[in-house]
Amino acid sequence: MMTDRRSNNRSMFWRVLRRSVFANRGRLFVILLALGAGAAVTAALLNLQVDAKRRITTEFRSFGPNVLITPRGSGVASTATSVMKESALSKLQSEAENPDCVAIPFLYAVAKVASGNSTPAVDAVIAGTHLDLLENREPAWKLEPEHPSDYSQDECLVGLKLANQLRVRAESSLRLKSGQRTESCRLAAVLASGGPEDDQAFVPLAVAQRLADASDRVSVVKVFVGGTPQKINETVNALQQKLPDVEVRPIRQFTEAEARLYSRISGILTATVAVVLILTALCVMAAMTNVAMERRNDVGLMKAIGGSVRRVLRLFLAEAALLGLAGGVIGAAIGIVISMGLGKAVFGVAAQPRLIVYPISVALTVIVAILAAYPLRRLVHIRPASVFRGEE
Amino acid sequence: MFLRLIADNFTRRPRRKFLTAAALSLGMAVATAALSVSLDVGDRLSEEFRSLGANLVITPEADSLPLEIGGVDFRPANSGAYLPESDLPKIKSVFWHNNITAFAPILETSVTIKETPPPNYDIAALASGKIISNSAMLASIKVQLVGTWVGHSVPLADGSTFETGIGRTNPWWHVQGRWFVESANECVVGTHLAKRLGLKVGDKLTVIEEKERTDVSDTHELGVVGILETGGSEDEAAIVPLSLAQALAKKPGQYRKLYVSALTKPEDEFARRDPRTMKPDELERWSCSPYVSSIAYSIKQVLPGSDVRVIRRVADGEGKILTRVRTLLWLVTFASLLAAALAVGASSAASVIERRTEIGLMKALGAGSGTVGWLLAAEQLLLAFVGGCIGYALGLLLARFLGSKIFGVPPEPSLLVLGVILVLAAGVTLLGSALPLRRAARFDPAPILRGE
Repeated sequence: MMTDRRSNNRSMFWRVLRRSVFANRGRLFVILLALGAGAAVTAALLNLQVDAKRRITTEFRSFGPNVLITPRGSGVASTATSVMKESALSKLQSEAENPDCVAIPFLYAVAKVASGNSTPAVDAVIAGTHLDLLENREPAWKLEPEHPSDYSQDECLVGLKLANQLRVRAESSLRLKSGQRTESCRLAAVLASGGPEDDQAFVPLAVAQRLADASDRVSVVKVFVGGTPQKINETVNALQQKLPDVEVRPIRQFTEAEARLYSRISGILTATVAVVLILTALCVMAAMTNVAMERRNDVGLMKAIGGSVRRVLRLFLAEAALLGLAGGVIGAAIGIVISMGLGKAVFGVAAQPRLIVYPISVALTVIVAILAAYPLRRLVHIRPASVFRGEE
Repeated sequence: MFLRLIADNFTRRPRRKFLTAAALSLGMAVATAALSVSLDVGDRLSEEFRSLGANLVITPEADSLPLEIGGVDFRPANSGAYLPESDLPKIKSVFWHNNITAFAPILETSVTIKETPPPNYDIAALASGKIISNSAMLASIKVQLVGTWVGHSVPLADGSTFETGIGRTNPWWHVQGRWFVESANECVVGTHLAKRLGLKVGDKLTVIEEKERTDVSDTHELGVVGILETGGSEDEAAIVPLSLAQALAKKPGQYRKLYVSALTKPEDEFARRDPRTMKPDELERWSCSPYVSSIAYSIKQVLPGSDVRVIRRVADGEGKILTRVRTLLWLVTFASLLAAALAVGASSAASVIERRTEIGLMKALGAGSGTVGWLLAAEQLLLAFVGGCIGYALGLLLARFLGSKIFGVPPEPSLLVLGVILVLAAGVTLLGSALPLRRAARFDPAPILRGE
């Protein structure tokens, strides 16, 4: 008998709930719109925020290399002459498989550069390196023409100032002379960087090594480490441990600025997103409370036919939770899709949907909906009679 | 009568109106805060970006190619061209002078220093033979001197002075101790060089000035007042006042390289075009935007014989990141506006739906649909105005808090934002109530009054 009554009660509860949810389509639509919008914004911002912090660190790539590996104890005076063994750095090469940490060796030498035309030869700094890797890693460099070749043969890049002095353009051929040794290469592109690179010629590492008669030698390795400032520090320490014979030091100009900018930017993002989320929740809550207040008549009626205060309240809270769930499930899904689109608009790459964001935003929406219905508890004190008489 | 109805509505049911107004002001507070922060963030961030150092470098046009490897120039001493120091104040006379935050001229020269045994001679090291080899090096040591400005006052044409120096163009240079005073015989020594020479703050560095006749030489005794750490080639050099470097290099009043730090607008497609191919009106628009290239162009106009180059690594990265962060913040702003608008709309829709009986009664008493619509719309607008103003005030407080938390500087309150917010509040409430209002206008009073 008892179980029978309880199941009766329960089915009645659900029936009342169903009816009150679907009774007024206009109202349902309004509520779902408010809750769904809140959930969508929550999901979109949370997803975008996580993604944006990561993307900003990839933008730091434009700053070029941020870690230098030089021979130990080399001062300025000796950098030109002291070199490291390329093979001694073989441990570094395995590191290069990691896309967040690319090491490119350089060998510097001074040589006479002559072009095919009548302009006299000039002394210039020759940098031997892996051109294909370098072009990819220096997005700030302006090449003329862009993406000149795949650097499969003996091709070189020449800095803008050097090219002007030699009066050469892409496709001309250059002769390099150091002592008795000569090399020649085809000029693939002229590069402008605004830095010392403008005065230099970049040739394949092997060419520079032959020219300087220093096979298997490099003067400096520039490392491009991506990620957060903390990760860069860890990489520097790890590299130093791996390679005890050389000196590993971060290029302070960029690492320091990166750390500063990263903390600022992530600060802005976190703060704005947090504030927007809190206020969005409050805003949805205020709107929902307004909607809920209109149910005073229902509360009065239920009390009049003998509904206990607790049951009435439970009914309304269940309704709010149900609506919150529905609005959250739909809204959060829309929000994640939106954030992917937004990621594409800002960074050119669709933001990766993070699954953890979905349950969080749904849960937040349900909580907001229940909190919004909570002022209804004041309605349980109203006297049914006055409601029926239409008094306020 | 119209006004009385509206006034009555507000006084009779304060709580209901209060809730709608609360939703509205919260929504508008979000919008205000997000708008103020995103309007401000560009300027604040470009100031932060100056921690990357100079974004323009100026060298003599006629200069020979520097043969510089790891900070040492392999050029013969007297080759190359120089620029006159006396032209420098002109930089602050260009159209973009307010955007130029700092500049510092550089003159590098290589000198011989006189061996001075460190006062705390380490006996143990001496015994191990370490110092002996060091002093052997010291006897003929050549040191790179970098002459520059530190805390230099540049007199400007309008009578004021502009203070600038290397510490501002290269903020990542850390000095242990202090920077030198330009008029005194002081210097700052790079950390590696200091280690090599055993120099500490308070020691003396004696520099030999070579004269025309090789047998006569003049010495300058410089007090070491700081140890410099840059992480770059300057760690191996000594930094001295520009005037001293000029005297030692026998290039009075001249410099070789000038770093300029300028606040810029991120470059877009238009900025990258060559100014020589532009039409006059395009050129005007181009030179009236603080693109790094147009600042470079205007500096080149005032410094004859100079070659102004954009340090692409700095300028490019700055432009990209600034654009990204800005778009991102605009998106956040837009999203919050949308959420606020929907919530407010929902709230005002609910407040109209609930007043069906009232509307029915008014129509039964002979009010036309237009009158009813006007009445409700006027009410909503009044609410929007009140809610918008409160929201604006709340949002400003919030933006102040956010701004000073992140950047240490609160954003300027802008009247533009107030206008946008009020228009937005009015639009949102009207839109939110438009649909229920249209339905209300078509209500048949009879069934409503019967309670159906």
